[in-house]
Amino acid sequence: MRIVIAGAGEVGSHLAKLLSYENQDIVLIDQDMAKLANIDANYNLMTLQGRITSFQTLKDAGVENCDLFIAVSPYETTNVISCSIAKRLGAEKTVARIDNYEFMKKENKEYFSAIGVDSLIYPEFLAAQEIVTALERPWVRHWFELHDGEIILVGVKLRENATLIGMQLKDLSAMRPSFHISAIKRRHQTIIPRGDDYVKEDDILYFTTTRDHVDDLLEICGKTDFKVKKVLIMGGSRIAVSTVELGANEYKFKIIDHDMNVCRSLAESCPDCEIIHGDARDMDVLREEGIGDVDAFIALTDSSEANILACLMAKEFGVAKTIAEVENLQFISEAEGLNIGTTINKKLLASSTIFQLLLDVDSSTPKCHALTDAEVAEIEVKPKSKITRAQVKDLSLSKDMTIAGLIRNGVGMLVTGNTQIQAGDHVVVFCLAGALHKVEKLFN
Amino acid sequence: MFRQRSQINFLMLSRVVGWLLMVEAVFMLLPLITCIIYDEADAQAFAVTAGITALSGVLMAYCIKPERTEMGKREGFLLTAMTWIFFSIFGMLPFMIGDLELKISDAFFETMSGFTTTGATVMTSIEHLSHGMLMWRCLMQWIGGMGIILFTLAVIPMLNHSGGMQMFNAEVTGITHEKLRPRVSQTAKGLWLVYVILTALLTFLLWLGPMNFFDALCHAFSTMSTGGFSTRDASVGAWNSMYVKIIVTLFMFLGGVNFALLFRASTGHVRELWRSEVFRTYIYVIGVMLVLFVVAIFANKEAHTFEDTIVDPLFLIISTITSTGLTVSNFEKWGAFVIALMFVLMFIGACAGSTSGGAKMDRMLFLVKNVRNEIHRCIHPNAIHSVRVNGKVLSPELVNKVIAFLCLYVMLIMVGGIVLTTIGIPLVDAFFSAFSCIGNTGLGAGVTGYGGSYDIIPDFGKWVLALLMVIGRLELFTVLILFSRDFWRK
Repeated sequence: MRIVIAGAGEVGSHLAKLLSYENQDIVLIDQDMAKLANIDANYNLMTLQGRITSFQTLKDAGVENCDLFIAVSPYETTNVISCSIAKRLGAEKTVARIDNYEFMKKENKEYFSAIGVDSLIYPEFLAAQEIVTALERPWVRHWFELHDGEIILVGVKLRENATLIGMQLKDLSAMRPSFHISAIKRRHQTIIPRGDDYVKEDDILYFTTTRDHVDDLLEICGKTDFKVKKVLIMGGSRIAVSTVELGANEYKFKIIDHDMNVCRSLAESCPDCEIIHGDARDMDVLREEGIGDVDAFIALTDSSEANILACLMAKEFGVAKTIAEVENLQFISEAEGLNIGTTINKKLLASSTIFQLLLDVDSSTPKCHALTDAEVAEIEVKPKSKITRAQVKDLSLSKDMTIAGLIRNGVGMLVTGNTQIQAGDHVVVFCLAGALHKVEKLFN
Repeated sequence: MFRQRSQINFLMLSRVVGWLLMVEAVFMLLPLITCIIYDEADAQAFAVTAGITALSGVLMAYCIKPERTEMGKREGFLLTAMTWIFFSIFGMLPFMIGDLELKISDAFFETMSGFTTTGATVMTSIEHLSHGMLMWRCLMQWIGGMGIILFTLAVIPMLNHSGGMQMFNAEVTGITHEKLRPRVSQTAKGLWLVYVILTALLTFLLWLGPMNFFDALCHAFSTMSTGGFSTRDASVGAWNSMYVKIIVTLFMFLGGVNFALLFRASTGHVRELWRSEVFRTYIYVIGVMLVLFVVAIFANKEAHTFEDTIVDPLFLIISTITSTGLTVSNFEKWGAFVIALMFVLMFIGACAGSTSGGAKMDRMLFLVKNVRNEIHRCIHPNAIHSVRVNGKVLSPELVNKVIAFLCLYVMLIMVGGIVLTTIGIPLVDAFFSAFSCIGNTGLGAGVTGYGGSYDIIPDFGKWVLALLMVIGRLELFTVLILFSRDFWRK
């Protein structure tokens, strides 16, 4: 697939690296040579220096016959114009990163397709959605619903009180459980477990299960569910504003920011929540604002380090659920090791949207979810695709992927070795980074 | 993710070298077939060599199972350098076990000279060599001209990842490495396609002339790669044909142009050729040199015919600037000035990204522009200067890199020359040989009147020169970095 990425910022360069590992043809455009030089020398892709709204630059990048054009510069207007030009020049499909919720509204979709922007990515909004999901179920690390919740993927960190610890996977599956362990994140690595792997303490287990059996997991993982009501947010970023908008009915938010101007504008944009001017890294401020009584603490400042440390501090105060925005990918697994509940990363959210589009070659409706070094995707099985040829155990699937579950006729079910996948099924695939193109081959 | 900075992944290196050796074994089939067609005894030597090479390749590639497959920068450098050495070690076997029975130092020198397209030879006469042997000499130049790694990148899909990218950077000549297409294997395929088409065209054109098919193919190989091996002692002069000279001149010229540029020109962007400042400079330099040569020829009263006055000097200029190293019969009579100009041409070299050697036109262009800025700065100390090529401003780091390269290049010629004097080679010849080898020109030591071929240089000198050749071909840093302590330090 030929992909042109305009803008080599954090999201753009992350996508470029990721997609080049997926064996796609990538051209990365940016105006700043310094941003490109390092990527050009070290990754299997091509870079081009120029303005992303210049017809000539886009022509040079070969936009005429590219399958996907992604505009992820920091400015939404630039991105929209760039996509519009690319579409006019002949790009198959265009995606623009935006930061305005109005653009996402259904009634405006037609306008954007008319000017040539097929899809929009709004990472801040995606992050807010992720945060609200995490608040709904404070005991899980990841919660991913597929096909309206028919299949649910749950990431849970095991503590010493979990009954699963020490069990071997093949013994577990002999008990015919109502879940499937699709992946294990152990220390800094995600592995697709085999029958002879053991479950250990401090593993993050990714279960696939159906809606009715989610509550079974609580018990075996030694978790208790509780209702979140009061939420304290540190940092009045755009994610914070979106979160407040999304969750205003359910939760009581309090935002702390140290910038007076930010506080003033927050007071205007979030009328229902309490705004505090102060430094959330200061113990006294936190104590004064009642950190002891809140159910959840969310750290959303620009600094990943500050977010991680603030969450640790909140844990010390006894806050049950903490969520940190961690923009450095390397820090995520460290943060996960440090018992910080959920981490939010805009880059991963943006790339899951792109992966969705990648798999979306002929307009089936896949969903995708990116983890630090793995992806989960829901894919519709086409007639005569490779995956329908045999039972799952005889397919000799590559070791870096697993089939977690499937949805047949709208009903979710788990997959075992004896399952025969049929055309029309929606299959949930869990694969490690770099294996998505193999998955694509299996299904097309 | 959090592994310590890794040790060099030797297992993966050996696997890749194994793949490459299998590729070399396939190439060896061509001289083998030639020998069989002409019914020559060397067929055995080639069959044995191809067998050994293929076997070693298979053993290295499939009996070693690397735990991890990723390769970083250091592996890229080491692998590229190792590949060239391994290719030469296996490539020299036919010279040793064939009818020639060369000593190891001679055989290695000859092979390295082939792969690096230097074209220096230890043989005083080549006409008694078998057809297969002549074919192998020219074929080595052809493989090395565009690049062993580049060929492998085009044909082995396993290298189509960022490790392959590092190897590409370590082998391809030039300051920055232009990519034609997003993936490195596509770029490699594009470049090789241009190369193969030009070679086929040249073979056909030469075959139309006085040459038979065998000579035409061999000369096409060594001309396109700007190597300079021939099938006759008198080189292309043996055919005494203006047609051959003109055709060879034209294709040597093309061999000195950036292949990425040729690729784009052939896909309908002909104007880009002239828009490239380096290409224009290449033509200007040739033009100015031609005028100077013609003046010198007239001054020495050697201008008799059109061929003497225009064709011969043009042939010599292009042959020298592209580091082919073919000469015409009577250029010694044109005077010392012409020889001095040839030194300049040898130093400059043709465009980066071509098959030619030398310091490369791009770098000289940067240097000249930078020097001009520095002079301007003496009078206007506060002015902001930038080096601009093709309308694009180059970063000061790039300019620094170019200057470092050129200093190192000159230093290596010095060091090489000095080392050669220790084994009793006269001063001028020592420096000239070092110069000629690092620039991959391979003009015979005969130019300075020392001897007909490199045969006369002692064994130690041959090893030194062979090393200089590979340093020059891989543009200094790739090989020299292996001698730095930082490279090996954990």
